[in-house]
Amino acid sequence: MSRSLKKGPYVDFKTYRKVEKLNQMDKHEPIKTWARSCTIVPEFVGHTFLVHNGRSFLNVFVTEDMVGHKLGEFSLTRQFRSHTTGTKAQRAASR
Amino acid sequence: MPRIAGSEIPDNKPTRIALTYLFGIGPKFSADICEELKLDPQARAKELNEDQLAAIAGLLESKYIIEGTLRRQIQQDIARLRDIRCYRGDRHRRGLPVRGQRTQTNARTRKGRKKTVAGKKSVKGMK
Repeated sequence: MSRSLKKGPYVDFKTYRKVEKLNQMDKHEPIKTWARSCTIVPEFVGHTFLVHNGRSFLNVFVTEDMVGHKLGEFSLTRQFRSHTTGTKAQRAASR
Repeated sequence: MPRIAGSEIPDNKPTRIALTYLFGIGPKFSADICEELKLDPQARAKELNEDQLAAIAGLLESKYIIEGTLRRQIQQDIARLRDIRCYRGDRHRRGLPVRGQRTQTNARTRKGRKKTVAGKKSVKGMK
């Protein structure tokens, strides 16, 4: 179920404040954040965020297309390193 | 056979059913169209006269997104998700379910036919 429109989009206040500050100073520097559930609002466009994925901070450069998505959508939390190929014997031989 | 929106040819089914043969028109929109144009939803599609067909075509043109236009729009929406490299775009790219379904089993619609992996034992064997 989607969020009630009455409430408006959820924006992490602290992150938003930081963005505002940077906008006022007309500066662009990465903002470190854990607020993965924070919606991207138009003010964020052009800023770089370092979004925590549970282990490290991933670079997320916000473009216009991303407005309306959440920061966490761009910082993947899972890593997949392809399945091994061949049989056990082949793998042992190539080692 | 009546022709609506290019080459779409619904047959001798009731109008409300025949219209759903168009991509982008389901039971709801079909009923809406019949309502708006005062068509008998139960009348067979072949009984529609020229004026009615023209009216349907005009309404589809102005109010609804159907067929190729709709298909293109869907593709564009997916392409957008891919381009901004978000999680959903990533799932589309990999051909896996997008809405958080399980993938250990099932998900065959997205993943396609089962690919048997040699040496992979029963579920118990995988830790």
